[in-house]
Amino acid sequence: MEPILKKQIQSGKLKNIDSITIEVIRNKLDGIANEMQHALLRSAFSPIVKEGLDASASLFTVHGETLSQSISIPIHLGTLIPIVKKILELNPVSTMSEGDIFIMNDPYLGGTHLPDIAIIMPVFFDGHPLGLSAAMVHHQDVGGMTPGSVPTNATEIFQEGIRIPPLKFANAGNIDKNIVELLKLNVRLPDIFMGDINSQVAACNVGKRRLSELCMSYERTSLMEVFELLLDKSEMMTRNALSKIPPGQYQYTDFLDNDGVVLDEKIKISVNAIVKDGSVTFDFSQTSDQVKGPFNCVPSGSLSAACFAIRVVTGSDIPTNGGCFRPIKLKLPEGSIVNPKEPAPVNARTSTIKRISGCMVAAFREILPEKISADSASEMLILQFGGRRTNGQHFIVGELIASGSGASIDRDGVDVIETDASNCMNLPVEALELEAPIRVNRFCLRENSGGDGEYRGGLGVLREYEILEGEIKFTHRGERHFCAARGHNGGFEGAKAHSKIFRASGCTEVIPSKIVTDLEKGDKILIETAGGGGYGDPTDRPEQNILADIRDKKITSQVASDIYSYSYDSGKFSPDTLPKRNNKNFETEIGE
Amino acid sequence: MNSKANSHIQVGVDTGGTFTDVICYRDGVPIGITKLPSTPSDPSKAILQALDYFKVESKISANEIKTFCHGTTVATNALIERKGGTVGIMSTAGFSDVLEIGRQMRQQLYEVSLSAQAPIFLAPKRRRKGIIERVSSNGSILVPLSEESVIGAAQELVDEGVETIAICFLFSFLNSTHELRAREVILSAFPDLNISISSDVDPNFREYERTVVTAFDAYVKPVVDHYLCRLDHELKNAGLGNEPKIMQSRGGMSAISIARQRPVRLFLSGPAAGVVGAAAVGKSVGENNLISVDIGGTSCDIALIKDSRPNLRNEGEIEKFPVRVNMVDVNTIGAGGGSLIWIDSGGGLRVGPDSAGANPGPACYGRGGINPTVTDASLVLGYIDPQYFADGRVKLEYDLAYKAINDYVAQPLKLSVERAAQGIHQVVNAQMAEGIRLVSIQRGLDPRKFTLLPLGGAGPLHATALAEELSITKIVVPRSPGVLSAMGLLAAPVEHESLFSIQKNITDLSSSFVLKVFEKLDEECSKLIKSEGVNLSGLEIQHIADVCYVGQSHYLAVPIFKDSKNMFKKLIEEFNDQHDQVYGHAANTSVKIINLRSIHRVNQNSNFVAKGGNKKNNLKLKEERLVFFLSANSPKQVKIFDRGQLSAGMQISGPAIIEQPDTTIVIENEWEAIVEKTQDIILNWRRI
Repeated sequence: MEPILKKQIQSGKLKNIDSITIEVIRNKLDGIANEMQHALLRSAFSPIVKEGLDASASLFTVHGETLSQSISIPIHLGTLIPIVKKILELNPVSTMSEGDIFIMNDPYLGGTHLPDIAIIMPVFFDGHPLGLSAAMVHHQDVGGMTPGSVPTNATEIFQEGIRIPPLKFANAGNIDKNIVELLKLNVRLPDIFMGDINSQVAACNVGKRRLSELCMSYERTSLMEVFELLLDKSEMMTRNALSKIPPGQYQYTDFLDNDGVVLDEKIKISVNAIVKDGSVTFDFSQTSDQVKGPFNCVPSGSLSAACFAIRVVTGSDIPTNGGCFRPIKLKLPEGSIVNPKEPAPVNARTSTIKRISGCMVAAFREILPEKISADSASEMLILQFGGRRTNGQHFIVGELIASGSGASIDRDGVDVIETDASNCMNLPVEALELEAPIRVNRFCLRENSGGDGEYRGGLGVLREYEILEGEIKFTHRGERHFCAARGHNGGFEGAKAHSKIFRASGCTEVIPSKIVTDLEKGDKILIETAGGGGYGDPTDRPEQNILADIRDKKITSQVASDIYSYSYDSGKFSPDTLPKRNNKNFETEIGE
Repeated sequence: MNSKANSHIQVGVDTGGTFTDVICYRDGVPIGITKLPSTPSDPSKAILQALDYFKVESKISANEIKTFCHGTTVATNALIERKGGTVGIMSTAGFSDVLEIGRQMRQQLYEVSLSAQAPIFLAPKRRRKGIIERVSSNGSILVPLSEESVIGAAQELVDEGVETIAICFLFSFLNSTHELRAREVILSAFPDLNISISSDVDPNFREYERTVVTAFDAYVKPVVDHYLCRLDHELKNAGLGNEPKIMQSRGGMSAISIARQRPVRLFLSGPAAGVVGAAAVGKSVGENNLISVDIGGTSCDIALIKDSRPNLRNEGEIEKFPVRVNMVDVNTIGAGGGSLIWIDSGGGLRVGPDSAGANPGPACYGRGGINPTVTDASLVLGYIDPQYFADGRVKLEYDLAYKAINDYVAQPLKLSVERAAQGIHQVVNAQMAEGIRLVSIQRGLDPRKFTLLPLGGAGPLHATALAEELSITKIVVPRSPGVLSAMGLLAAPVEHESLFSIQKNITDLSSSFVLKVFEKLDEECSKLIKSEGVNLSGLEIQHIADVCYVGQSHYLAVPIFKDSKNMFKKLIEEFNDQHDQVYGHAANTSVKIINLRSIHRVNQNSNFVAKGGNKKNNLKLKEERLVFFLSANSPKQVKIFDRGQLSAGMQISGPAIIEQPDTTIVIENEWEAIVEKTQDIILNWRRI
């Protein structure tokens, strides 16, 4: 509470809202979103929320624009916007009352994928609407064909879990028990599911309480005026930043390995960014048609990617709110992978958003060379091991493994690091082995995997698993197996990812980027994630960096001589030998 | 004044970046307080100067000092300045990149040109060796230790110039025989090497975090060891009879000889002393639940004190790297007196996170800084007397502050300079209040139920405004906020902890096993505390279990009562209660014990008596000057008091200002100050 300012309002001091009041209120709105986010993380049950930070909380204006937002990972930027829009379209604020709660997850009505369920609550003061409080959580399980509700081989959304249209979950404070019962019957872990829903309601309540408390210090109508001013300011700042980019069309194309169902077909992601008059249009006309497998990405995904790209390109001192999104237009052809038609499956859309955000950022590389690196591998390898020990005990463990980042104009890429739209932690070897009958035999950086260049791309990582007992259902969702992260300005591409299964029976299977299979005792899996692209001509790399790379086993002396024209033995460059073009399909064998 | 033969003399010395604060007590009564310039190249110099000072001023010679307690920044500085030893790391073969791979998360969400997040500088690959050995996840030995591979690796590391080695093998927290043997083998060949092993430093799962903390231990050891060894020696030469004690990050003291063995526990030595000092001040005026807010030049440090004990965390960050050691839970937000004010491209008034630092400092320092800071605003508002800042050591120039705010804030925003300065305070207060609120609620605590304890030069200046933002109605301003850390050194308990890593579901444990573990832990702790040479009559023993639900990755410290019949049942109940408080829910699922810990603690003299107090005199005004309060529309003549002239029982109603050499207390309208017997000041909000 801020009685001081209340006094000032009463005394007529703040008849005109000044920039200080606006900034004080902005700080409070950010604080409210952070407190909501904390309430969400604090009381959620799902490990993916607690460990992967896959949740977000926002305040919205009564017109459905983001007022303030707390985010842990950029994939959540803007993700609630289409949902709130839909809710308001079906339930104008004038029809809402204090204590109402709305719920929905359907991707085809504004959601993202089925595990992401949104809870939305209107906020009133003295009976007048003030804004909306909203929270989204990635739920552990929402039913469907596999535990966890993210089957890589789904071909219809119906296999991915329960679809929730925009529903009134609570009417004037009374939760609709019919909806609760219906939901509980359709998910595998009903108690955890409801626990997470309750944490969302708790987060919305925090937002509701603190937003209405602001009206104790500021008059409601002036407050709503400030909200609009804040949005206008962020819009203006974003437009100013965009108008500094030379008008024109900037284009970039990259690929996803396959859709998890049709394994031998790459998926084209092509972004054309049209910058004009302080606005940007991302045109996806050249992007692939929708696919059979679950890599389709409904429009909210491209919006989040665009919000991320704009933040990267324009700098980060613009306060994030709905104003930042106003200068963004998206051209998403119907029936394409970025605007699929029902009932296409969509659960694996994270990989697609990562590639889209990579392309959007890369499109601006030529004009913002100091800011934007060569392509990052941007592979977040997702592994799931689930099954039973010989004593019958169940276990499920998931792993998220990163890859190398792209080199930039002034520095090497970073080895195994999360990039772009996601930011998850890996699973410690000791945690994995304590949870499941699996042993990790090696976990190390992958020599020679960074794209060579004056600045070298970041290395991928190598991890080798051995199954110790029981039967295991194994899911592998990779990327960059078939299309490398490109280098820039003479820099080479990073190494592609490889994964293999060495069966106890003696045969070896190459994993074509995605697989769902059964494992048994004695089977081994070797995964190698991709490297980031290099920047600049390798022969321009300073000698001491090449030497350090050899000594720290980032590259072999063979690569030093073949690509950097540097002889480790004689300590000399041999400028006459032209560097060999990328020829780096080094594959590791088991137990090396 | 002659010293009494049986009097108990205690000296606390806190070495900070700029000043070394020294305090001396006789039988719990302060007889000397001083600040000396620190001597960063050899911090012990200033300490010896302090002893000379007491010899002259208080006629106390070193051999009369019974307890000598010290807080040091030497470990932190070694890390910040990258001046630790040359480290080599030995890992299980196949896992020598654990340090470099880290946890793969990045700090900067919106950058695409990234920088490494793990502390690779500790040991690049050439100084990381894989050793043939493997312990399985149940503690059994899969691959026996190859001593040959240990010797070979040690030789290669020595050839790389390594002087200190960290050993971190997989699952060594379940079976430490390989680490212990590897250390033996290395020392037999290279007796001069320092070796830190992970099963000693941090016997806990998650190999990256364990490797980092073990490597940090190895890294700072040569520096810390050298310093403490010399200090001990020089103090002995000066005549000190008893072994000096060092403040550990967890807020307890330890003898130098023990502290030297585990230097990674000293990173927060200084801040821990400050928080213990704050707790002691609170206790002396009957306030046991406090939020201490230390507002300095570049940042604001927030700590929570519950039931007179600093809140602890089991893992913290130093220089953004994870350090898994028990430490006082101090949280820093990037707003302070030196925070720079700027106008964003949308015309918004922004504060920080960049700071003017000490050089050039705020515009009013007259050292060439032209951009306005929060301190410049404080000067323009009339909060600070330009002649009386930092005890008059820094003369402030009002005109420079006025010009900076005029040029960079008032003009662009078309405001009066005073309104702009007021706005700067309002914005920074809103920022700090949101930070304090978040820190408290993240620990499941409601800030409204706490008393605010402002510290640092700028703390008491913002205190009433912050308290209002947070709906806190009581503030304690310590008599000497400047030497609170030195006081904390003498208020802290002597404390040792032993830990045993279990990693088992409660259903798989027998109470007899747990009792046996505690027996062993108590034996270890008891040995340590006995070597401290303190009076053991007040020994407190605490048994703790670190507990989580199966599948969780974070745990809570729960007291365990080993004489209780229903030990596990009570433990689970207590855990559920705590979980509900901190995380908002409790589940009816299986519970797992991660660690068992035994803590042995002897409280030092914690009931300090305030020095006699001033003679009762009448409330005397120092002066009146124009001050522009945040609650006012225009500047008003406001009463200014000198804290040195105040005596117990006096009351002052806001708006008013109390000045003292190291800080300024701003008392807003609706607040009332009362001077306590202890000379501390309590501010109460009389809400209208």
